[in-house]
Amino acid sequence: MLVPFVNAITSNTFQTLAQNTDACVKLETTLKAVGRPAFTLVDKHTDKETRKYAATKEFLYQILCLGIYMAIIPPIFKNRGFKLFQKIFKNEQMPAFRSAKQMMAYHHLAYMKPAERTIDKNIKYKNLLKLGDKDGKELTDPKTGKPLLEYLFGSEDKQIKPLEKRIMEKEGKMFDLAKGSIELSSIVGSVIGLTILAPEISHLILHPIMKALHLEGKHEKSADESKKIDKNV
Amino acid sequence: MGMGNFVYNNLKKICESLGKHNDALYAVLAIAVFKGVMRPTFTMMDKDSDKETKKYAAFREGLTEAIAFASYILTHKIVLPLCVPIAKRTGASPKKIKNGLSLLSVCLTAGIIIPAVCNLTLKPIMNGVKKFNDKRKGRKPAAGSNVLDIKENAVSEKINVSSVYSPKLSENSRSLLDAVRRNSMQNSTMKVGG
Repeated sequence: MLVPFVNAITSNTFQTLAQNTDACVKLETTLKAVGRPAFTLVDKHTDKETRKYAATKEFLYQILCLGIYMAIIPPIFKNRGFKLFQKIFKNEQMPAFRSAKQMMAYHHLAYMKPAERTIDKNIKYKNLLKLGDKDGKELTDPKTGKPLLEYLFGSEDKQIKPLEKRIMEKEGKMFDLAKGSIELSSIVGSVIGLTILAPEISHLILHPIMKALHLEGKHEKSADESKKIDKNV
Repeated sequence: MGMGNFVYNNLKKICESLGKHNDALYAVLAIAVFKGVMRPTFTMMDKDSDKETKKYAAFREGLTEAIAFASYILTHKIVLPLCVPIAKRTGASPKKIKNGLSLLSVCLTAGIIIPAVCNLTLKPIMNGVKKFNDKRKGRKPAAGSNVLDIKENAVSEKINVSSVYSPKLSENSRSLLDAVRRNSMQNSTMKVGG
């Protein structure tokens, strides 16, 4: 029982997920969308109609937050933040990745064992790296001048083997500064998105949706009928 | 120039550190802290609500995020020491187990622990605060005060005070009227979510 569990949480997919701010926030918001309404529904202190109303509202709110987050954070904060950090750290010899997605593709492949990097499902990451920088030039490590694809896949012509993850970590070929820039941009974006933008936008959208679902009027009617003071939702 | 270098170096350190190891906890803690500060601030800035309502709503919002923050930290502290014995038993990398457990603890906290703790604690705390405020202001606790509670996502509701006001004033009529008025205030213009 323990071994399959450990195998699951130490798998590459789970590890990449755990290291990715964007994925963690999406997962957290999805769980909130399930957990909070569920606990609202089992709260015996409030009457049934109010519980249903509150749970629906909370569920819709969290789903809207997730939608707003997915629409705003990756394209605006993650990509633009990464480009801004590329300008700020222009003297730090970071490879000229064309986007945050391309950097993440490199990191994702670097995290795997060399044999796993070439399997079919990972070809999309390789193809993304093959596009090169924004001018279409091959991506290279500014410190050594070597192509990044050579680190990941080796070279038959030059008889170079792909590098193991631990060697890449040891020799600074994981480009922590570039990866960290993306994570910091995502954290800042998540904070702004989920504390300022999402609540304000969803506040505007939520009431029309609740009315369209005939939940708002129904709840108010129920409140009038029961004449109860405690009508929190 | 000195200040610029200081900011640059620290930004570089933060980015490098996040690049080497990014814990799932960092983002959720940052969100909890900023929500705990920003949402009560926005609530207090709302000019349409009255002062008492705003104070209660802001306190509740701040409290919810404080519970979230503490829950994330506590769960993390409880779960992480398990990685060494698990690594010894299974032979897996302790670092990888730590990363995995960290994400699991965040999921567990967000999906189950925080809503459960909020359900159990918010109501008694808010009632306690209300009783304390009543006592401080020299008001008698109103009948049915144990059900007075506000939530950040409460629906706007207008209670017709005249419909509950009796022309024959009983001894407790004043406190009852106060309770109705207070409750009406507490339940208005709150925002959904947390």
